[in-house]
Amino acid sequence: MQNRVVISVVLLVLALSAVAWAVLRVQLPPADFTFVNETEPKSLDWALVTGLPEHRIIGSIFEGLTRLHPKTLAPLPGAAESWEISDDKKSYTFHLRKNARWSNGKAVTAHDFIYSLRRFLDPSTAAEYAYQAWYLKNARRYSVGAKGISAGDPVEVELNERPKGSRPFARGVVLRGKLIEKEGDDDHRVFIVEIEGRRHKYRSGDKGDLNQGIAPCKQVLLDFHEVGVRAIDDYTLEMRLADPTPYWLELLAYHALLPVNRECLETYGSPAWTQAEHIVTNGPYRVAFRRIRDRVRLVRNNYYWDPERPKLEVIDALAINSQVTVYNLFATGKVDWITDAPALVLRELIKTGAAKKEFNPQPYLGTYYYLLNTNRKPLDDVRVRRALTLALNREEITRTATGSGEVPAHSLVPLGIPGYTPERFGKEDVQEAQRLLAEAGYPNGRGFPKLEILYNTHQAHQTIAQLVRKQWEKNLGITVSTRNEEWGSYQTSIRKFVFDAARRAWIADYVDPNSHLDMMVTDGENNNTGWSNAEYDKLIAAARAETDEARRFTLFHQAERILMDEVPIVPIYYYVDKNQVRSSVRGFYRNPLDQHPLSELSRAPEMPADAR
Amino acid sequence: MLLTLWVVFTTSFFLMRAVPGGPFDSDRKLDGEIKKNIERRYHLDEPLEMQYWRELRNYLRGDLGYPYKLQDHTVNGVIREGLPVSAALGLLALAFAMSLGLVAGITSATRRGSPADVMLMTLATIGIALPNFVVAGLAILCFVFLIPLFPAAGWGSFHQLVLPALCLGAPHAADVARITRTSMLDVFSQDHIRTARAKGLSRARVIWCHALPGALLPVVSYLGPATAYVLTGSLVIEQIFAIPGLGSHFVEAALQRDYTMALGCVMLYTVILSTMNLLVDLSYAVLDPRVELK
Amino acid sequence: MTTSDRSSQAAVGMSLGKDAWRRLRKNRVAMLCLGLLIAIGFLAVITPVLPLSPPDAIDTLKQYAAPQMSPFWEEAFDFDYAATQQTKISESERIQRPYRNAGFPTLGVVSRVMVMARYRLFGKGQVAALFGRDELGRDLLARVFWGARISLIVGLVAASVSLVIGVTYGSVAGYVGGRIDNLMMRFVDVLYSVPFIFVVIFLLTILGQEDVKKWLLNKGIDRLTVFYLVVGAIYWLTMARVVRGQVISLKTEPFVEAARATGVSQAGIIARHIFPNLVGIVIVYLTLTIPRVMLFEAFLSFLGLGVEPPDVSWGLLANEGIKVITPVKVYWWLIVFPGLALGVTLYSLNFLGDGLRDALDPKLAGQRNA
Repeated sequence: MQNRVVISVVLLVLALSAVAWAVLRVQLPPADFTFVNETEPKSLDWALVTGLPEHRIIGSIFEGLTRLHPKTLAPLPGAAESWEISDDKKSYTFHLRKNARWSNGKAVTAHDFIYSLRRFLDPSTAAEYAYQAWYLKNARRYSVGAKGISAGDPVEVELNERPKGSRPFARGVVLRGKLIEKEGDDDHRVFIVEIEGRRHKYRSGDKGDLNQGIAPCKQVLLDFHEVGVRAIDDYTLEMRLADPTPYWLELLAYHALLPVNRECLETYGSPAWTQAEHIVTNGPYRVAFRRIRDRVRLVRNNYYWDPERPKLEVIDALAINSQVTVYNLFATGKVDWITDAPALVLRELIKTGAAKKEFNPQPYLGTYYYLLNTNRKPLDDVRVRRALTLALNREEITRTATGSGEVPAHSLVPLGIPGYTPERFGKEDVQEAQRLLAEAGYPNGRGFPKLEILYNTHQAHQTIAQLVRKQWEKNLGITVSTRNEEWGSYQTSIRKFVFDAARRAWIADYVDPNSHLDMMVTDGENNNTGWSNAEYDKLIAAARAETDEARRFTLFHQAERILMDEVPIVPIYYYVDKNQVRSSVRGFYRNPLDQHPLSELSRAPEMPADAR
Repeated sequence: MLLTLWVVFTTSFFLMRAVPGGPFDSDRKLDGEIKKNIERRYHLDEPLEMQYWRELRNYLRGDLGYPYKLQDHTVNGVIREGLPVSAALGLLALAFAMSLGLVAGITSATRRGSPADVMLMTLATIGIALPNFVVAGLAILCFVFLIPLFPAAGWGSFHQLVLPALCLGAPHAADVARITRTSMLDVFSQDHIRTARAKGLSRARVIWCHALPGALLPVVSYLGPATAYVLTGSLVIEQIFAIPGLGSHFVEAALQRDYTMALGCVMLYTVILSTMNLLVDLSYAVLDPRVELK
Repeated sequence: MTTSDRSSQAAVGMSLGKDAWRRLRKNRVAMLCLGLLIAIGFLAVITPVLPLSPPDAIDTLKQYAAPQMSPFWEEAFDFDYAATQQTKISESERIQRPYRNAGFPTLGVVSRVMVMARYRLFGKGQVAALFGRDELGRDLLARVFWGARISLIVGLVAASVSLVIGVTYGSVAGYVGGRIDNLMMRFVDVLYSVPFIFVVIFLLTILGQEDVKKWLLNKGIDRLTVFYLVVGAIYWLTMARVVRGQVISLKTEPFVEAARATGVSQAGIIARHIFPNLVGIVIVYLTLTIPRVMLFEAFLSFLGLGVEPPDVSWGLLANEGIKVITPVKVYWWLIVFPGLALGVTLYSLNFLGDGLRDALDPKLAGQRNA
């Protein structure tokens, strides 16, 4: 009996000390500023991500050539001190600042930007946003691999072996030459390349074919020297664009065109280089540590060139999925900034006016819409698609499902771009919708196959999907069902076109209609509807080449008219920001892109964090 | 146990490979060569049995690979960070479940049929009559907002641990109470208790020294699987209280079809469960009065 | 004690089942639970006849309307009765139309007849939203009733699937014994160490993919059916173990040996002597498995893997309810009523299960005065 008691007590003490250890090892000094960054960032490698949670962090640990003014969004000097633009607006020369430093103390040079850009465009990086850099001359051809080259082009052959003495994750040996011929199809392609006057045969893969004299290589691409970017010296970078792109300077501030540290990347490789103990960055903050599904802690980067920024020493970005929990944390004063809350909470806050200082929703450049899969019957019929958009009562949707005064949308391009007011398309007209449906061969919805709405698992999306389902069923007499998927699988389904109608939203990357409109071009990375219209593509391309703003916007108007006439997408509402920010926080501005650089934030000294 | 692990590993591996949609299916339509390059990097171009042996070797070395979705981390890293959190939460929850459950179970067994019995068992049953997200939601409303005792969510102090541990432990407390009650009643009818009672030992002494150790056996064998469950299956509580434990990885790996992460989670669960069952067997030696300790 | 018990049984000549029933009747709480369960089950079955609002009839203008008692009765049931008479059964797509427009989920033949009967009985009349309304202005009272149908069916069917598999597997293993028994139980052990939550989620995710789903639907299998099968196929493990244990101990009982000695065939022994003695323990485990399955369904609803609208289950309702519990505004009715329905049912099932176990275990019954 004695023994048993002793053993039990020992076990109990052991268990409790284990609990204590697990809790104590994660105890932290509090941060100066804590915000809820929605979900766990997929990666800190900016070439691989597209989401907002990643952007909020990446945008403050890296700095591009330019950065955006936190209020007006005008491009400000970032890693580049100044720049010149040629008269045809196609050539930019950037002068990098000499005091810009990586977080390991080394200088940020023009070569870093070239290295990053090449990696970003490299097809084996598989960067989703690579098309944001396609404005550079020949960038697209480099980025699409074998499809971008044809006989006679200068090419680079990357071998599987690395140069001797290089870092463990450096690029393979690169040989430059001229492509004589491409043979074979997608799966077995042989490149005949002339290098220094001799012909070689290459095939991508581990093994070549000795009998036929084919050598293995990693890939054959357009010669990167053809791409419109070069370093004039260590601190001067020249970029040549294919078209005058009025928002190019804004795009350079965006996370798709940031620099990476070559040494770091080549030493640790992807994805290990993004680990907190390895990553080298050049922004106002650096990563102190990351705890999975808990937080990313950012601390001031002491090597940052601007002593005025950042203003806060330590920032925590929490990853919390549950909306109610997020709001609970804000309501109990544990976090300073949240980006979302349940619709009914927001509605209540607006109604009672209880939190005017903290919650002040403003429209920004985002549109919530439904994709229609035009590859599928009966959605390939434009009359059916028109009927679907006409049968929607968007007021009922915004009134019921959203909470912060969202505006019903009748165009893809949201309201609020200076100089561009989209027309209103597809106002509710049930009779016309029924007529169109009958014309398409489904009078009263008879014979119409079951339509399924896909959305990612989220309360607000579910409510909207149910409302849309009921409205379509009631107004058109068709059968509609809904299907929800977790975010990752939902994206897969969208990419692979396994849906009839699906919920989607797009937030502008820069203040220009092009940000919304150019994704709908034929085979656009984010088109996702299978819709294609040659006239539309032509108009978007023409707008890209156009320098006069009024004429550009006319072209966009024409393009959008085509788009909304053909209805591959059904706009539902325009976004308003749902930020709630503690009133003691300074430097937080509502702006059309809903971007809030952390380095601008500070805290009013007289009000401590928990003064509520 | 090793055999079990191997069987589970092999079945899971082949099942996950057999399921439609490969890991890189989720990404974009990639060109032939680009896709092959990526597959080469992850050894997906090898024949299946080669992949299997490679994976098995890696597992034996303790290298669980890279998750497909949480791109910056390794499966080992995810488990290393998540397991202590889940373990702390789970241990506390079980401690709570044990203490409450035992007291309730013993009381109701000794006063069988009395109002106290019905009351306690009613309370205990409520723990398993409501989904735990409901219990957690109500608990937050009560103890965070109405009576501000605890923080709403988060991880890093004991204070933040109390509420989630209570909510996680509630259904187990109910189970423990019911099992204790049944097994106590069972033990009461055994000969050695009657002998003890006949000897004229006090009621308390009979209960605590003679009946309880025997009655604890079923409770202990319940604890084995329960531990594995609270360690890995606490997703709901973790989400509501924003706790970075293993439960969310576990469920999300399944939801997102993240094969490497999923395999890692399954194996972890199996290892924990097997270990716990082993410990249960060992603790029988401590508790069972028929087994003599040296 | 044991001997005296047996002899008294023999003396009265009462069968085990009758004896247990007598004891169960004495347990007032268990009897109350049994009554409640029967009532809930009955109401769930006749729900389509009751004058309730259809569960999917939305009215967004009445979003989050609070519970109201008066007026108790309203003429709001918007149902196109004539349309139901026009369409032929063969037009499977059209037949659901009038029901769907009124706000019913997809209905089977029996339910459709019941809805028509309801229309003939009550006309356009329906009970007002006594339990309040939800985000889309749907009547919670109706949703709780309709949710009962799915939740109870889920519990019953999944538990029955587990019952069939578990009893067969367990009794075979127990009766055959020896090497085969060993092997079969090894297999159960291996399955035990697989995290089943994970397996279910994984399977449901895979089977929820559009192409797989369409294929399954063509074969008449919807998500619920998949759920029954998968959950049933997992919960049988405990049942198999329990049954095996019981069979093994029965096998050595004197009355079985006696039967064997008198030359009763194998089948005869199993049918006459083993199965009847298994019924008790099986019922007990059934009543304890059903609540677990129902809770599991609620958990899946929490993950967004539960039933799909317009179908509704208690788990779904509880999940919707808990989302409206916020510090700024509490729409209490959305959590209280579904929570109550779920709680009372699960509570009753658990208590009934306990009561049954007590009643069936004569050893415990003798302990009344311990």
